[in-house]
Amino acid sequence: MIRTPLVAAVATAALALAGASHAQDTVRIGTEGAYAPWNYIDESGELAGFEIDLGNAMCEQAGITCEFVQNDWDSIIPNLQAGNYDVIMAGMSITEERMETISFTEDYYPPDPSRYIAAEGEELDMSDPSGLRIGAQGSTIQAAYAEENFAGDNTILTFETPDQSIADLMAGNLDVIIADGSYLQPIVDGSDGRIVFVGDEVTIGNGVGAGLRQDATELQATMDEALAALKADGTVDALIQEHFQAGPFYAD
Amino acid sequence: MPVLEALIGFAGTHLGEGWADRLAYLTNGAHLAWYASVRFTVIAAVAGAAVAIACGLTGAAALRSSVAPLRWLGTGYTTLVRGVPDVLFFLFFPLAFEQAVEWVLAQRVCGAEALESATRWPPCAEAQWFIGTNGYLALASVSLGIVYGAFAANVISGAMGAVPRGQLEAASAYGFTARQVFWRFRVRQMWIYALPGLSNVWMLLLKATSLLSLLQINDMVQWANRLGAPNYLPSVGLVHGDWRWRYYLALFVLYILLTMLSEAFFASLRRRAGRGMAIG
Repeated sequence: MIRTPLVAAVATAALALAGASHAQDTVRIGTEGAYAPWNYIDESGELAGFEIDLGNAMCEQAGITCEFVQNDWDSIIPNLQAGNYDVIMAGMSITEERMETISFTEDYYPPDPSRYIAAEGEELDMSDPSGLRIGAQGSTIQAAYAEENFAGDNTILTFETPDQSIADLMAGNLDVIIADGSYLQPIVDGSDGRIVFVGDEVTIGNGVGAGLRQDATELQATMDEALAALKADGTVDALIQEHFQAGPFYAD
Repeated sequence: MPVLEALIGFAGTHLGEGWADRLAYLTNGAHLAWYASVRFTVIAAVAGAAVAIACGLTGAAALRSSVAPLRWLGTGYTTLVRGVPDVLFFLFFPLAFEQAVEWVLAQRVCGAEALESATRWPPCAEAQWFIGTNGYLALASVSLGIVYGAFAANVISGAMGAVPRGQLEAASAYGFTARQVFWRFRVRQMWIYALPGLSNVWMLLLKATSLLSLLQINDMVQWANRLGAPNYLPSVGLVHGDWRWRYYLALFVLYILLTMLSEAFFASLRRRAGRGMAIG
């Protein structure tokens, strides 16, 4: 038993703090802040991106107050479970595996094929790769896919943030990266031809949705209702166009 | 900020547009947030040092105590904590503390049923203790204080032993009590012997503050990582390659500046502690 007066006093103070933070009815949304154009830190040092705009639009539609908080990708699900925030909006694909621990809203970005990139001039056969150093962000559907399909003959390297993998590709420490097509497209476009797509697209995952704790059914219903309204009136498509300059869209 | 804009305008007219752009880039919101994040490092280092001195004095007193169990406690503390890698302790202590508090909370608010059938942590939502940046900063400072307090305890204990015996015997002979001899002679005189060792401990502690980002604190290392990461999207900001080494270089310089400041501070402390002493 650790019932010394000091611990009890601290616990009481913590209880008061916890009570204070629960009193205000703000829905906290966790995001990574390192996955442009989905979510990133802009030049003014604030969180910005597709999911920030969409999340704020959903909250406005639902008439609730929301606040974005930043959390590293690899601890984003544990910290949702721990209650540090109530919703995850971080480009997270809806998968069976994740559904075992958390629940998802309907998708707010249609299923997006994953793609491979490499430095210019590389001729890579991605249908049967061997001896390659393949990079992916850790704990992603692409990392799981690479581990399952390529681990035998290749080296799989995972990264904490996706931009670290891009930096390593440019530094020659990687041969190829697999990631979301929508994340890679603007990078390839902006690289002046130094980074190119290789191989075919692969479809993994069922679109991107907002993650919630499994017992948060009420919040899930609220978010789903707001999302359905925003899909119907074209707001979601407009935000996709604004941030990605390309589809997939829901109207098609 | 008008002052910044005026400065950028001045650079534009007198040094050329390139300098104005550079200055504008280095003073955008993200960079200002980076500069402001230095406060986390300074707060953690100073608060950590305060805790370390407290732990060090207590530990040293325990190490030199005439009561055997206290001595064992002191030896246990300095040996165990010095042996654990600081990264490990830095991760272990805040987590363990948080869960201990939640455990105590759970005993009070969750009710027997929830405690019995709990499959998740904490057993019920009411026992959740949310820790924000300030909370983590406090826990980080205490962790640093405990780890480096163990080193400080050893240094201080050694310094206490270095105080000339004759001084203490003379004090006793003049009728000072054992407590008075300890505080007014041993502790008063030991600083001159302890300061060189303590300045080493302070340097280690200062460097260990670079671990803050492990606790989700947006400290200057985290910002350097973020700002230096390559960017290919004009909508996000300036397009550039992997610039992390430049930002790390800036951190090197900052840490060296902090080191030089500390050296000057300890030199003046040593002069002060040496006043009226035969050595120093």
